[in-house]
Amino acid sequence: MIAELLFAVFFGLLLLGIHRKVIARIQRRPGPPVWQEILHMLKFSFKTTWIPKTASAALFVGVVLVAIGIWSAALFVVISGGSLLVIFAIYMLHKIVEHGFGLSSGSPYGKFGGVRSVISAASEIPLLVSVAAIAIFTHSLLISDIVSYQEVHGPLLITIPLAAIAMYVVLISKMPFGPFSIVESKELVSGYKTEHFGVWRAGLEVCNGLKTYVLLLTFILVFIGSLPFWLTLLTMLILVITLSFVCALSPMLSPYDSVTVQTLLAGLMLVYVGVLGVMS
Amino acid sequence: MNEIGGTPLFFLEFGDIVVYFTPFTLTLFLLALVFTVFVLISRPERQIDIAFGADAFYAKVISLPELRFRRFMSIACGLACMGAMVTGDVFDFTLLVSLVGICNVGIVAAVKSRHVQNAAYQYGLVALAGTVPLFSAAAMVAATTGTLSMIELAKDAVAIPLAARALLVLGVMGEGMAPFYAAKAEMFRAPGAPYVIMCSLSSLLIFLRVAEVILLL
Amino acid sequence: MKKKNALALTLVAAGSGVAAMALSMASILPGWAYAAVLVLAFPLFVLGLGLYWMAREGEEDIPFLGY
Repeated sequence: MIAELLFAVFFGLLLLGIHRKVIARIQRRPGPPVWQEILHMLKFSFKTTWIPKTASAALFVGVVLVAIGIWSAALFVVISGGSLLVIFAIYMLHKIVEHGFGLSSGSPYGKFGGVRSVISAASEIPLLVSVAAIAIFTHSLLISDIVSYQEVHGPLLITIPLAAIAMYVVLISKMPFGPFSIVESKELVSGYKTEHFGVWRAGLEVCNGLKTYVLLLTFILVFIGSLPFWLTLLTMLILVITLSFVCALSPMLSPYDSVTVQTLLAGLMLVYVGVLGVMS
Repeated sequence: MNEIGGTPLFFLEFGDIVVYFTPFTLTLFLLALVFTVFVLISRPERQIDIAFGADAFYAKVISLPELRFRRFMSIACGLACMGAMVTGDVFDFTLLVSLVGICNVGIVAAVKSRHVQNAAYQYGLVALAGTVPLFSAAAMVAATTGTLSMIELAKDAVAIPLAARALLVLGVMGEGMAPFYAAKAEMFRAPGAPYVIMCSLSSLLIFLRVAEVILLL
Repeated sequence: MKKKNALALTLVAAGSGVAAMALSMASILPGWAYAAVLVLAFPLFVLGLGLYWMAREGEEDIPFLGY
């Protein structure tokens, strides 16, 4: 499992690098090399580091540990075919991590990043909707059961395409440079991660790599099914490129617009799953 | 038993009240525990703000009595949260959820800021009103099925009225879930990160747990 | 944190991870316990390694407030 963990970190960061490269090419910029995010992680870990004078020290450091820990746990849950509800829980608790990053330093920019992450709570509802829609069909939330259901009945992507779209929106809202990335937008310097520099930021980059890998892997396992390893990686790459197109071609929304759009989407999805539940 | 959150790992029986850990509730329990430990060991941060109209900034410092009260409330909130995560009894669940609501008000009520107190007051009213549907749900479950144990209720033979589930969700929403969650956002401007985080953490954990409870019932 | 302590932390975290892997391969340790050890050890390993090879510890400063 150690090998899988390290692979997930580096491949996730590589995907984020590809994300940046594709966005740059769409916008006709040369862009950084694809391994830039991996270099970033290493670069930050070599830098001078301290805990700000005003920070709440234990929380400032502890939240980095929690961030890496929860996503490693999520990776193991996905690999072992555990409950989808646990993945959902970890995804929601990532919000607390953002909040902790933002508030623990005492920086005004970090604080606004943290508050923004709290007000965009509606971005989690689509995930709950896709979980509920899946439960209606498979009668189980274990990822292993969902995979074996798809081997018999064909991919869920075809059965419930709108639930797949809901999960895709969730992926968009967690990708950097997307329309909903208000927590790290540049008018807040770097949002919630402004004051986490040096080694702390390196830890955050590790978490980002893991998070990207886990979310994409979950999407593939839940909506397409079990694929050979190389094909899984290829599908992840294709997914990232489509996400890059969305991120490159859409402007970042203002905080209130972002929350409104997310709430509307969440409402639509709730209606959809209600209809699905009545029909089945 | 319906295995929504994975196969149950461990049952802890106190007479007829059963506490059980599934991988899902265990994850939530551990996170509540971790953040309660953070509350215990960390000092609050000093929030820096810019003084407008001058080339200056100031730090908001939390006084010791305020710190003590808020730390106590946060720990109480963490304990209530841990209880709500693992309990296998509908009434205990509603009781602990309402306790979380009270503690959340307590965490921010000691802050000396008009905006924060206003938000805390409004949230307090909603939380108070939320207890009515919350406890009516538990009462309805007990009246219609004769049991409050989630393990018994999860069996297919037991039918729970839709209204009871709806009231349960409504009550939990009142105690701090979306859409009242947005009103709580104002409370998060208060200084004292470890304590304020407990507010949002408890909301999220209760949201996750009630999702499981509703799927289970 | 002193570099020596950071190195000790890294080695302890890495050691417990490798030990858990060995025990799990010998099927003494169940899979979930192996995963739990890794979830605890991996974050400590990442931060310990970073703190060991970082440039130096700077002087504490107040957060960035703009230019």
